[in-house]
Amino acid sequence: MKAFSKDALAIIIGVIGFIIPFFLSIPGLSEAGHVALSIFIIAAVFWMLEPVPIYATSMLVILLQVFFLSKQGVLFPEVSAEYAPNAYTDFIGTLANPIIILFLGGFVLADAAVKFDLDKNLTRILLKPFGSKPKFIILGLMIVTGLLSAFMSNTATTAMMMTVILPIIAKTDIDDPMRIGLALSIPFAANIGGIATPIGTPPNAVVIGALSTQGIDIAFTEWMVLAAPLVLIVLGFSWLILLWMFKPKTNSVPMDLKGSFQKNKSAVLVYLVFAVTVVLWITESLHGVGSSIIALIPVAVLSLTGILDKDGIRQLPWEVLWLVAGGISLGISMESTGLAEWIVTSIEWSSFSTLFMIIGFSLVAIVMSNFLSNTVSATLLIPLAVSLATSGVAGEGFSLILISLVIGVSASMAMMLPISTPPNAIAMSTGTLKTKHMTRAGLAIGLFGLLMVTLYALFYWPLILN
Amino acid sequence: MDHKIYILIVEDELEVMDALVKDLEKFETFFPVETANDATEAEEVIDYILDHDHKIGLILCDHVLPGKNGVDLLIELQQNPKTAISKKVLVTGQAGHEDTIMAINKADLDHYIAKPWTEDELEKVVRDELTDYVLSNEDNLLYYMQVLDAEKISDAMRKNKMTDH
Repeated sequence: MKAFSKDALAIIIGVIGFIIPFFLSIPGLSEAGHVALSIFIIAAVFWMLEPVPIYATSMLVILLQVFFLSKQGVLFPEVSAEYAPNAYTDFIGTLANPIIILFLGGFVLADAAVKFDLDKNLTRILLKPFGSKPKFIILGLMIVTGLLSAFMSNTATTAMMMTVILPIIAKTDIDDPMRIGLALSIPFAANIGGIATPIGTPPNAVVIGALSTQGIDIAFTEWMVLAAPLVLIVLGFSWLILLWMFKPKTNSVPMDLKGSFQKNKSAVLVYLVFAVTVVLWITESLHGVGSSIIALIPVAVLSLTGILDKDGIRQLPWEVLWLVAGGISLGISMESTGLAEWIVTSIEWSSFSTLFMIIGFSLVAIVMSNFLSNTVSATLLIPLAVSLATSGVAGEGFSLILISLVIGVSASMAMMLPISTPPNAIAMSTGTLKTKHMTRAGLAIGLFGLLMVTLYALFYWPLILN
Repeated sequence: MDHKIYILIVEDELEVMDALVKDLEKFETFFPVETANDATEAEEVIDYILDHDHKIGLILCDHVLPGKNGVDLLIELQQNPKTAISKKVLVTGQAGHEDTIMAINKADLDHYIAKPWTEDELEKVVRDELTDYVLSNEDNLLYYMQVLDAEKISDAMRKNKMTDH
């Protein structure tokens, strides 16, 4: 019999890691920095080994920060020369960070869309122009998946699109490689599509949240201008690589999507709210009203009209909001205690070129998020990037926004393994493909993503940001 | 999976039993099949499975059995909360009108398969019933996707507010 289960071992490692810094005196690190290091270690261990759900770790992070690092906590009631403690409201306030509210709006919208089959009906309409040739069908599926996952969760989009492709797969010859191509096209497009808007996927929220604590606000439109062109090119590449790797044998794909738009009052209202919200979001730069403010429109209107009822509110994915809030919160104290700066100054960054750092951060983010949750990967890397920029050790020309984008976007480029993302897990579970298929195609996309992120960070993003 | 979901077949004729077991082979990796020749043996098997913290997803039951008949067995199982959730299918050629009505009303019968059945028909019924069972009783839907109705499971996941993380 094993002495400890895997989870128990992970908890022990995390707790020991938490305790150790209390007994150390690390030169150059403030006393509060030691505590922040403790919290960082236990959070990193728990997030990576997952003995407890990742959102629970976020809750623990906020609890520990409030208790040990806030002005109202037990250790640092007074402002000292080396640490001006945050008010505990800074930590719990991350739960109402604008990006969290924006996500809340996105959840409510997506929820209503699913309830009234708007996602399915949009898919039906949007797929029509792509005819019946396999390569165009796959292109159409990828575009529609990418588009929907930019506004809904990648996972929910994948689940919905599976109901579209499973009948096609069932009617395709068992030895036609198109089955694999189809099954991979959906999760890949969903993973990539999530990058396109701030609400597409939680790593985007981590980036935007971290930047907002630095006083940098990224508008919805601005994010889209930065990210959407990258999404398009990576989607296009993924389409080609899937066609090349899994060349369809059949000439025609049976595409027979039935259904019709619901026309009752509630449904029409949902369409209207959906359209108005999305239009207001993507035109933020024209009218200047922040996307988080706009996000309150669907929340309020759908509640007022009873479309979002008490049960609906209870069933919203609150754990994702906690997860992201915990990440933002951790970043705050890593900054304010000087921990992040201590970590980054231990490396001689100025000897590295900007190019090297972009590739380095992108590669690390892609590798990490192939094995870990994308959100966790972004959460663990972002504070380092922030300190690199704010401490000035990386030298002139190191842009905080740029490197944050590199991390956030790269975290979504990981799709080599079934465990890389929930959409990958769904595709794998259909039983139509083997892990090696996913790994080969995912590797190609990861490498292309790395290349594109680097090129965009060098040439395109500076153009937009300056 | 820390618990298994069993398919239980209650049938006294050996040939029929063999045919049923053979037709359910493709489910076996995910849903182990147990067999019983009469109601008493069925009860023992059920107790054994439940005692080991496994579950019974589907019961395929013949009507005419030595001792207690199939419909009575199903009614009894319906009264036990642990087997009330199991899907119940009567596989028979000889259940009269009244027995069948009893089974529907009192055992919440989920399906009636008349003998002789075709493999496709049986497979479809078993797939549908197990899919419904899994959707209302299991958390890890992905695990069952490749053997059950993947489309239905996908749609349930879509409505379940699945999230990225």
